[in-house]
Amino acid sequence: MTTEELEQLLAQQPVALLHRLARGRVHRQFRAGKRRLIELLLQHSGHNRAGLESDLQTLIGERHAPSESGSPHIHRPPAIAHKKASPHRAEPESTETAVSLSAWLEGIGVPAPQPFIPDPWQTEALSAVSETDVVISVPTGSGKTYVAVEAARRAMEDNRTVIYTSPLKALSNTKYTEFSKTFGPDKVGILTGDRQENGQAPLLIMTTEILRNLLYDAASGEIDIRLDTLGLVILDESQYIADPERGVVWEETIIFCPSQAKLLLLSASIGNPQDIADWLTSIRSTACRLVRHSKRTVPLRAGYLHPNGKLTPLFRTVGIPYGHPNQLHPEAKRLFLEYEDETLPSGRQRR
Amino acid sequence: MPPSIHPVDLIAALRQRHLTPAIVFLTSRRACDEAMEAFDHADLVLPPVRQEAIGTALERVIAQYPSITEHPLIPIVQRIGVAAHHAGHLPSWKIAIEELMRQGHLDAVFATTTLAAGVDFPARTVVITQSSIRKSRDFTDLTIGEVQQVAGRAGRRGKDHVGFAVITPSPYIDLAVLTKGLTGQPEAIDSQFTISYPMVLNLLKAHPHEQIQGILAKSFAQFQLNQRAELLEHKLDALHVQMEPFGPRVCTDWITQWQTFDHARRHRHTRHQTHRSESPEISARLPFLSPGRVVGLSRGRGIVLRQYRSKGQKTSMLTILRPDGAVTECPVTSVKEVYDRTCDFVETPTYPWCSTDTFDRLSHQLEELPSRLPVLPILTSTSHEPLPDAIVQSMGDFPCPTCPSRPACQKDFITASRLRQEQQRHAKSIQALRASLWHRFQERVNVLQKFGYLTLATQLTIEGEWARLIRIDHSLLITELIRAEAFTGGDLSLLAGILASLAHDDDRPGAFPRISAGLSSLLGQVRKLAESLSPYEDPPLLRADVAALVERWVADPTLTWIGLCRLTTMAEGDIYRLLARTLEFLSQVQALKSMHPSLAESASRAITLIRRGVLEELP
Ligand SMILES: Nc1ncnc2c1ncn2[C@@H]1O[C@H](COP(=O)(O)OP(=O)(O)O)[C@@H](O)[C@H]1O
Repeated sequence: MTTEELEQLLAQQPVALLHRLARGRVHRQFRAGKRRLIELLLQHSGHNRAGLESDLQTLIGERHAPSESGSPHIHRPPAIAHKKASPHRAEPESTETAVSLSAWLEGIGVPAPQPFIPDPWQTEALSAVSETDVVISVPTGSGKTYVAVEAARRAMEDNRTVIYTSPLKALSNTKYTEFSKTFGPDKVGILTGDRQENGQAPLLIMTTEILRNLLYDAASGEIDIRLDTLGLVILDESQYIADPERGVVWEETIIFCPSQAKLLLLSASIGNPQDIADWLTSIRSTACRLVRHSKRTVPLRAGYLHPNGKLTPLFRTVGIPYGHPNQLHPEAKRLFLEYEDETLPSGRQRR
Repeated sequence: MPPSIHPVDLIAALRQRHLTPAIVFLTSRRACDEAMEAFDHADLVLPPVRQEAIGTALERVIAQYPSITEHPLIPIVQRIGVAAHHAGHLPSWKIAIEELMRQGHLDAVFATTTLAAGVDFPARTVVITQSSIRKSRDFTDLTIGEVQQVAGRAGRRGKDHVGFAVITPSPYIDLAVLTKGLTGQPEAIDSQFTISYPMVLNLLKAHPHEQIQGILAKSFAQFQLNQRAELLEHKLDALHVQMEPFGPRVCTDWITQWQTFDHARRHRHTRHQTHRSESPEISARLPFLSPGRVVGLSRGRGIVLRQYRSKGQKTSMLTILRPDGAVTECPVTSVKEVYDRTCDFVETPTYPWCSTDTFDRLSHQLEELPSRLPVLPILTSTSHEPLPDAIVQSMGDFPCPTCPSRPACQKDFITASRLRQEQQRHAKSIQALRASLWHRFQERVNVLQKFGYLTLATQLTIEGEWARLIRIDHSLLITELIRAEAFTGGDLSLLAGILASLAHDDDRPGAFPRISAGLSSLLGQVRKLAESLSPYEDPPLLRADVAALVERWVADPTLTWIGLCRLTTMAEGDIYRLLARTLEFLSQVQALKSMHPSLAESASRAITLIRRGVLEELP
């Protein structure tokens, strides 16, 4: 679409939608009013116009999703502008053909072994973390551990202490075993409330609560956890900051983390990693670097398995149709409706 | 049709399509265990080579963790290549299964969705059977982030070209939640900052009172509150512009002047002022309960359509739109939460008090609201300004009737006063957003002063100095128990038992029939104290059965793990977690060496007694 068309479409959207669109694109977007937001978005779209357009369509789609079933007086933007703006938007139930099961299953298998080459985002994160705090928000299975391990190695080579925290004791134990193999058992220690194993090691693993307590003790001059040599604090699974009971511990830990230690926050994909990075920038001595991407390294496909054992693709497309939840495969749709028909009204359920 | 696919058929189907290894997420531990039982007589046996490989791998793990030597699931794991992995199992068992998965020996693991984060191993395929999970007693839909966290385990880098997320239905599955989750962008996350007593004590230990506000301002909570405040400031700026035509006239504050005049005019005959009998908390809320506001009620949520006060009713009333499109009337007092979310709203003077468009849109928006909404912090001001009676009585003093600006005032009043109300509302919200953390901090300070942990000058007292080291849930109850000398007898098993009942917040039923007289009477005391503290701290569950279980483990060093498990219906994993949590609590008590040396000594001896057998396997 042309810039004018894009601008017009943006202008038709409620400001809340623009704010969502601007997340991660426009710095401090929440300050801007509608006109200004549109200006900024258009400016930004220079880098990645297609990305902006597709995200915009997604958001519009989400906004109107419930109306698709067709209540007559639903508020929607003028139909013409809508159509014109999205000429290639895939219409559900259109003539488009749906993928076959065999095509969907194609390509299963084990890739040939390949030499390890770090991804660009991994290299970027590693070079950034030697200078400043870094927030990483990438899909599960992307390779955050590699960044953690390499960052820890470099800090230790610099004679700095490294602390690695995880939200669960079970995860701490797994990492303890894993890191002991990577770095050698004398380099890695673990701290729990009542126990220390190898507490003098340069790489210490603990839960976030234990680190928070250490930081409080240090603040009141109680103990020395070699804070002056602490060079790096890695907080794994940082999306726990939104945990209703325990999230506060991550905030306390970040607020009281000594300034000479760099923070490395590893997180699964979240909606507002830029907010976390902006927050860190606002309270720490250096500007935080955000490293994010939302593309899965190993592509994902979705399927539907009927209780009678019949397997079909879940969507019309081979891959996941991001932004288009309604593109169900006709076969999956049919089977699921059948399932609902048979299970729901029968009164067979316990609830 | 069966309500869901049979586990044996499921594994057969996955194998046939080469979709193994798979992680199958099921609704409950029970479902996982039943799935395993279903393989008892299944003929899906693995070829001998693979069975042997599993055996060898298991032996290696068992050498490190003897506690799983005789685990009842081992035969099925080895024969069929499937396993269960959930919170009812010992950590060592879960480690073994994870190890087998990492080495690629298993075809499937049945796990519960509750701990998707704890399932730290990938597979080729993830099987999803539900669209909601149980969170604190209620079923809530999976968020987009959660669906992706679960589906994200599919597709191992370096071992798979593609990963598969396979949905297979079970009763009450909502396909839309899952398709939205798979195709959508994860939600933004929000701060869940809370201010606890130990946080206050530790902050005041290290920093003078006047610095605290600055420290709280560094929280992500304040960062997000500021974002919201800035949005409002923006709206406020726009309102200032809209207010320009309504500046000073003959009287500077003509809006108030007209309002009072108009009010007096109407109420000349009914001299009884509607008397605001509401509490300050309720009155403070009123300005926020404007049309379009999203509120939480005791059951579900609603959007305010109008606020009114009908004759003869003491409290203000609301007309509220409920999720199914129903419109209900309820008193303001039945609003449980005021959310920081308003919807665009076109008012109309008659039922349903908004335009049809608005009504339809609101109905949709109500369904679409995210499961967690930020609550609007509302400051309760003690000084509120009712209409002065004096004005009403002195009608004759109003200049309005003869004022040259009267027609203009009359015409503009509605718009101007609405704008001004909005301004005031925003200004108040902004103030509340900026100050809410500090207020919550002050509230905690007041309680700590009342109980003698802080001086009036907010210094730590002798009690505060040690109390700050108890940084766990129910800290106030624990420190008060210590001050009440509840543990002076030096009985290790009693101390451990009581701390266990405080540490264990799981309401999963379990049973342990016998409880000693000493523990029972002490628990009674603890319960009384907890109740008396309930205005300041939520009381714990204080389950007697878990207390008794831990008491036994500490009191009888010859009791074996198997023996302990036989004493209760709790799952092994739950018992392990109970003891691990108790250790955590004990380790905090152990830190009180300088002020309570004998108690700290007891705690450290109790720790040694608990740390035996299975409890010694892991740090
Ligand atoms: N650059 C890379 N090239 C190939 N494989 C990689 C790369 N980075 C990580 N991996 C592999 O990807 C897998 C998943 O990595 P992991 O760190 O566990 O993901 P997560 O981001 O969920 O923590 C691991 O097996 C790891 O060895």
